Amino acid sequence: MDTFIQLTIDAVTLGSVYALIALGYTLVYGVLKLLNFAHGDVFMVGTFIGYGVLQELGGSSSPKLSVWLIIPIITLAAMGGCALLGITIERFAYRPLRDAPRIAPLISALGVSFFLENSMQLLFGATPRNYNAFNFGNGYLYLKGFQIHGVTVPLLRIVTVVSAFVLMVALWFLVNKTRTGKAMRATSFDREAAAMMGIDIDRVIVFTFVLGSALAGAAGVIFALRVPTTVNIGFVIGLKGFIAAVIGGIGSIPGAMAGGLLLGFAESYVQGYISTQWSDLYVFSGLILLMIFRHQGLLGRPDIRKV
Amino acid sequence: MKKAIGAALAVIALAVIASSAQGAPKVAVSATAGYSCSKSITLPFITPLTGGAGFLGQEQSSWASYAVKTLAPGMHLKVKLVLGDTPVEQGPAPAQALAQKYIGDPSVLAILGPSTSGGVAATSKTFFAAKLAHLSPSATRTDLTQGPVAQREGSPAFFRDVPGDYIQGPSDAAFMIKTLHVKKVVVFDFQEPYSLGLAAAATTVLQKAGVSVSRLSAPNTTTDYSAFVTKVPNDADIVFFPTQKPGDAQTFAQQMIEQGKKAKVFGGDGSNDPSQFKVPGSYVSNFAPDITGIKADASLINGWKKANPGKQVGSFGPPSYGAVQILLDAIKIACAQGHGTATRAAVFHSVKKVRINNWILGGTFRWSTKTNDPLNAKFYIFQIQSNGSYKLVG
Repeated sequence: MDTFIQLTIDAVTLGSVYALIALGYTLVYGVLKLLNFAHGDVFMVGTFIGYGVLQELGGSSSPKLSVWLIIPIITLAAMGGCALLGITIERFAYRPLRDAPRIAPLISALGVSFFLENSMQLLFGATPRNYNAFNFGNGYLYLKGFQIHGVTVPLLRIVTVVSAFVLMVALWFLVNKTRTGKAMRATSFDREAAAMMGIDIDRVIVFTFVLGSALAGAAGVIFALRVPTTVNIGFVIGLKGFIAAVIGGIGSIPGAMAGGLLLGFAESYVQGYISTQWSDLYVFSGLILLMIFRHQGLLGRPDIRKV
Repeated sequence: MKKAIGAALAVIALAVIASSAQGAPKVAVSATAGYSCSKSITLPFITPLTGGAGFLGQEQSSWASYAVKTLAPGMHLKVKLVLGDTPVEQGPAPAQALAQKYIGDPSVLAILGPSTSGGVAATSKTFFAAKLAHLSPSATRTDLTQGPVAQREGSPAFFRDVPGDYIQGPSDAAFMIKTLHVKKVVVFDFQEPYSLGLAAAATTVLQKAGVSVSRLSAPNTTTDYSAFVTKVPNDADIVFFPTQKPGDAQTFAQQMIEQGKKAKVFGGDGSNDPSQFKVPGSYVSNFAPDITGIKADASLINGWKKANPGKQVGSFGPPSYGAVQILLDAIKIACAQGHGTATRAAVFHSVKKVRINNWILGGTFRWSTKTNDPLNAKFYIFQIQSNGSYKLVG
């Protein structure tokens, strides 16, 4: 029972990060029908922004502020920095190719991904950066928490899951209950019709990139609080986020959340109960089967073609 | 349409020509071509300066540079140290490209490195074909010098001044048995040769001594070890964690504490980095002692510190100093034999003639008669203290 509870905690923690990244992929795909392969590297930049701001605030060993202020500050800084990066990427790498064949922005996205990774390595080197969250208050975030059936749920895990959940709820609210969200949904449904109805498509697209990139930045800080970051980390984590978006149904926001959590659960339980060595093999074999029988993903809509 | 196809073909042709021009293997300099010892000799150092193992190359290069600066003039040699970066994340390709470059440079008479076992495996046969002696201060993989000659990953031109993992694995296991009195150990590997070799060697010794051993295997791309920590039994004494990324050792050890596991983490030389792996109570092994405890090295250490203000003496740097000393001695011998001219073949054959009495790691340095490994070398065990420093315990 202890093992099951611990693995479930691991699954929810990991799945929350995947879900946040998946949301960025799905938002952009929904509006632009573009797979933004640079998204994983925006996540990576977010981890570095968070690290930089943390160092300015004294680092985890000699923080200038309370940890409960530092975490929101570095998260907001990463979200802001990544949002600006998203705007820049959209403006220079994707907007000129908006009317080009679909392969063109895809290649551009891959190019942006390599550009970001190599630029970051040139600027900051490839040495891993560790937030060392353990040093806050002598391990306070790791050692304090609450108990479930004898298993401690550390504060850091709670912070991770709650932060991700709050962001997902905020996103849902924004997309479903605001005018801007309505404009985004209209644009994703039919861009031309939305333009004819007076919606400023350029502004909607930019806003989508801002949202998606900000979520990637937040995911970056949440992830890096527990694990060291390097310039290469965006590729693997970004790939998993993309897979989570596809599992959930690319273009579906609830689907991205569900896909991220499902991937987190699959990884955690396979590693815990079946095999640590071949966990990726089992997980992705299962996902292939899921795609074969439900190619639109868990909550995606099947393509409807007029005949 | 035809124009587009023609343009595309032209671009492809240009790309092929450009890549061929860059990647064309350099014409190797003959191994018996003489090089004047009065000219500047290039000593390339192939090591990871960036990437997850960049800490290794940065420390080693500072000591190598200091060695060249202080030793070469006394030997009447003009030597220029040139650094070649091989980030571990990029696999063997950077080392292979550098090997081709240095083979084509007539001023290169020997190679320092590659620092990583993967780099050696990728380049050793190429260097042997050019009769270029290459001496590594940190490549410890067993198969580089052990086993049937035809199956060794290192060629006869490969040397190292540190012991191999065939000593590290059993040494670590022996320490766990005799000093820590372990009953139950979890042994990790990361599905790559370094950790697989160490894990296998340690497991054999532990099981022979009646210790209960369970194995866990993590892909090399793993970043979050939570699920693996969950699988560590609550009554395990030690988790043997031979990663090459000290940051991962730190993450794992912290997640062990997070989940309330009592077992201590025991890392190999790949985890030896006080700036990244510093969870108190953990253990780390390394092929070099802390030379600040060797009286004969006091003035050397002071000189290095003056040349490298603010830096601390680590365990990876001193073997690099020693490796440069060996190579320079070999070049000096070859120059004397050639009456002012040295060939790569002569330097290669002179390496094993080198014997150093005041060895930087203590005692005398001699080569084993059977392999290109040092004679009677050993591994040292450190425990991480509450202030993050590494204390020698075995």
